[in-house]
Amino acid sequence: MTIVEFHNALKNKTISARAATSLYLDAAKKENKKLNAYLELFEEDAMGRAKEIDNRIASGEEPGILWGVPFAIKDNILISGKIASAASRILKNYVASYDAGVIKKLKAAGAIFLGRTNMDEFAMGSSTENSAYGPTRNPHNNEYVPGGSSGGSAVAVAANLAMAALGSDTGGSIRQPAAFCGAVGLKPTYGAVSRSGLIAMASSLDQIGPLAQSVEDAEIIFNIIKGNDQLDSTSVDSDIFSLKTAPQPVRVIGVPKEYFSEGLDSRINNTIKSVIKKLEKHYTIREISLPNTKHALPCYYIIVPAEVSSNMARFDGIRYGERADADNIFDVYKRSRGEGIGLEVRRRILLGTYVLSHGYYDAYYARAQKVRHLIKEDFKKAFDPKTGVDVILGPTSPTLPFKIGEKSEDPLAMYLSDIYTIPVNLAGIPALSVPYGTVLEDGTNFPIGVQLMAPHFEEKQLFDVGKQIEVL
Amino acid sequence: MISKDDIEHLKDLARTEFGEHETRVLAKDLNSILEYVATLQQADVSNVPEMTYALKDVKNITRPDEDICEEGISKSITDAFPQKERDYLKVKAVL
Repeated sequence: MTIVEFHNALKNKTISARAATSLYLDAAKKENKKLNAYLELFEEDAMGRAKEIDNRIASGEEPGILWGVPFAIKDNILISGKIASAASRILKNYVASYDAGVIKKLKAAGAIFLGRTNMDEFAMGSSTENSAYGPTRNPHNNEYVPGGSSGGSAVAVAANLAMAALGSDTGGSIRQPAAFCGAVGLKPTYGAVSRSGLIAMASSLDQIGPLAQSVEDAEIIFNIIKGNDQLDSTSVDSDIFSLKTAPQPVRVIGVPKEYFSEGLDSRINNTIKSVIKKLEKHYTIREISLPNTKHALPCYYIIVPAEVSSNMARFDGIRYGERADADNIFDVYKRSRGEGIGLEVRRRILLGTYVLSHGYYDAYYARAQKVRHLIKEDFKKAFDPKTGVDVILGPTSPTLPFKIGEKSEDPLAMYLSDIYTIPVNLAGIPALSVPYGTVLEDGTNFPIGVQLMAPHFEEKQLFDVGKQIEVL
Repeated sequence: MISKDDIEHLKDLARTEFGEHETRVLAKDLNSILEYVATLQQADVSNVPEMTYALKDVKNITRPDEDICEEGISKSITDAFPQKERDYLKVKAVL
């Protein structure tokens, strides 16, 4: 049941919020042993809120679009009074003292929170294997990864354990698991959605966004959570969107040749090409070039560890989280972090410390920031209002889901999973992954994700083309 | 190449620990990642500025210095202290 279908049923009183919530809770309780999508269910709270919603409807109030909609929330987004562990040992008992900006907005809109979902620790990973609480499994084949880092949220939506979910995307963490599981995933423009109450990974790239069953649902959620928040000074005013209520319809779709090069699974290539062929009836298709695409991944793996090493400094066992005992304060820090934080996160902390250290700054970080500028310019040129395209289309992921354990010993192989999603974060533009078709592998039909990218604040363009792809 | 000594120094700088096996894996991984990111040296960045923010037209935003905290928040913050005495955060001696 999509949000729109549920909303109509709720209005017509053919379903209650309680019935819907308990349906999802029951499914989650039944399936979670196998899938490990949720780290915790908020059964009592969810049913209590559903009851409130039903009472308000019974008293004659007209329900809003998100009234009673059961959401799954990634474990790095704070809900006041609930544990937010970011799937890390160091925060296993950390109780959030306030609501994230997006949670405030969803609460005000009448949404219900079913539970918090599994993820790669502190959102660092592409498979949801780097969780201190065990891997999440792909609902299409339990031996395979669901993608990551928002794997729990993607599985919750794809396996019908939630009507919709929130995730966070720093280099593809919403779009890649959406593609691997067969959900719709939106990475909004940097600044479109408040990051207040999101446990930070790399602050110049992080964005919260929806995972949903349909493009329309993703659009509905985005329209609720977007907008300025005083507690995130990078968030922009909603006015920027209302100025664009009547944007030019999408005419030209660009296909970047760099997104179809070596490393792309030939079956995904064929699927994306068939989408392009079908879209030719509706749009002008133009091959374009984003020449600095090859530099995006190395650029990202300098900037991200640098920001990670700084953001993770707060997890030292002093003010909150788990504290290890030691003789002096220095060893308390070292041991709390050594024991409480997983290997991939510590690896990035160390790498970040190295690239920012004296004598290496210019060679690594400063150069990466310059290359980041080049990548942003590639998109700016491609989207030039006079000579450019309106939307760019390509694959979300270069490969199908891989087996659990297959890449966990090889960080570079894992990093390559995000090769087509990372440039978007570096440029700060919005992108949407829409499922289209399947590929048979190992007896399983795995879904494929089509990625759409648009200029800053042109999310509407993504939704328009996304809806078109859904009905091809 | 990151040497063994470099790694030990970085562990102290980053205030973190790695086990013996982890350190061996780490040395290999860090060097292969650094080798990979070194491909950025091929990018022509002459006359290119460093990108310091994702959007144009962003300006520094401040808000009035007013207490906007919700009631009861100080209790939930002190409740989160790993070690405390009354409402004091307890830590090892700093000096």
